[in-house]
Amino acid sequence: MGIDIGKFLKNPEFEILITTYRDIFQVEALEKDRFGEEYMKLSAVISLSKNDLQKMGFKPGDRVKLSNNYGSVVVEVKESKKNEPGGLAFMINSPWANSLISDETDGKGIPEFKHVKAKISLSKEQITPIVVLIGTFYK
Amino acid sequence: MFTCTGCALLCEDIEAIVENNRIKEIRNACRRGAARMKGCMNRLVPSIAQKPADIESSIKKAAQILRNAKSPMLFGFDNSTSEAQIKGIQLARKINAIIDDTSSFCQGILIENILHKKLRTCSLDDIRNKADVLVYWGSDAQDSQPRHLSRFSYFPRGESRQRGYEEDRLAIAIDVRESNTAKICKGHFYRIPLKGDREFILALMEALSGKAPAYDTKNMLGLASILKKAQFGGIFVGIGLTYSIKNDFEILTALADMLPKFNIMPMVGHYNMRGFNEVLFKETGFVNRVRFEGNGVQDNKYAIIEALKNKSIDALVVVGSDPVLSLPRIVIPHLASIPVVCIDPCQTFTSGIATVNIPSAASGVESSGSAVRMDGKVIGLKKILENNYLSDEDIMKRLMEAV
Repeated sequence: MGIDIGKFLKNPEFEILITTYRDIFQVEALEKDRFGEEYMKLSAVISLSKNDLQKMGFKPGDRVKLSNNYGSVVVEVKESKKNEPGGLAFMINSPWANSLISDETDGKGIPEFKHVKAKISLSKEQITPIVVLIGTFYK
Repeated sequence: MFTCTGCALLCEDIEAIVENNRIKEIRNACRRGAARMKGCMNRLVPSIAQKPADIESSIKKAAQILRNAKSPMLFGFDNSTSEAQIKGIQLARKINAIIDDTSSFCQGILIENILHKKLRTCSLDDIRNKADVLVYWGSDAQDSQPRHLSRFSYFPRGESRQRGYEEDRLAIAIDVRESNTAKICKGHFYRIPLKGDREFILALMEALSGKAPAYDTKNMLGLASILKKAQFGGIFVGIGLTYSIKNDFEILTALADMLPKFNIMPMVGHYNMRGFNEVLFKETGFVNRVRFEGNGVQDNKYAIIEALKNKSIDALVVVGSDPVLSLPRIVIPHLASIPVVCIDPCQTFTSGIATVNIPSAASGVESSGSAVRMDGKVIGLKKILENNYLSDEDIMKRLMEAV
């Protein structure tokens, strides 16, 4: 039986720029049950253009790790529904996206919610559950 | 007819079908509004140190936390009635607290400019009756204020716009992504790079003054020509534009000065965020980030993000908001380390770490009052269901008596 060398190799990592947006289906899920599966399913997602998916070698449904100096989360990859040119990834405003937001504000109180630099790589980990994001703060 | 509290459009045409004092069906609302009016699955229960308690003990404990704090903050109120906001500000004044709301990291800067009359604006009814050119800028109304286009801006017939969107109105989207709103603005979607709004505005101003801008010359001249021909225009400013130009907001004023037929319309999410800004502005001259030391003083250090980052508050009362969900995770550790009082109809991520939880009536469903629509119009909220929950206003009054 051969050795699966692949599991010792680090997945390639890419630099990406992410912006956040609002989605009515996710907000509906939030209003109903922010602790529920549906809210997580709609929130823990990053959308990439077809071009970027091809360039990075990801497929819709893959899980990816997003990380930067402020945090790290595992989310699911989706292909942007619209004809996006690429170079910019999209996440719906949620605790998953908020895990990557800097607290640098130049003292002005408004973080860069819509301009997030991060590294993205394929991951075999499960999608980061809300209890991991929030539960660490529970007393 | 009832009023929807799903967003700051405050749609007043909501029908509620009630059976056994429960909402069975909500009619006319959008997905967001209907979900909000029907209520959450997990109601908040009174608790102290995450153990069940009665309301009286919870209010007493909350008052004790406020009495013991040297630098308390009251935060939220954007999902509360204007009457509750007034009481909240009175409480902050009484205990020399800081008071702030989500507009602090949202549309506060825009509302502040509007209240200072630095930007020309109008009512949404004027938009419906008169507007012929609509610019959705950094705003995906279809997902955030879903009935904006159908009730006020694009689709309806108006007094001077009898042919609605088919002939009488032109919709334009300027955004970094092709949003659901941009999709409707077919042929008039201007895609800009992230943080490219300033450059776009500068180029548009050049084109408006008759010069040929270097940036996207053909499209800019075309857009300038449409805007110049408008009889009554609206620029719907979303959070995308506000964030992008937050360090150079005067540029929007400069653009507005070149477009005398246009009105600047804030796009607001939480149903009474503008109400909070207006109430606090009336009381102190500031829209958010205020500390009471006798009179209210505004400073960026009183913004919730800065206060948490600098660990400058030692107790936090959260009313109808979920900062653990909505703030950058990196500032949450300080929030989790101080006593937090959570007042909300529903369990939230913040209630999960709060020292004291006080359940409240869902305003507009379980309590009445008034709120301020995103264009500044005061709208009444009428209770739908009989219930025993205290309103936010009642809780503020009780806290004021107990501190």
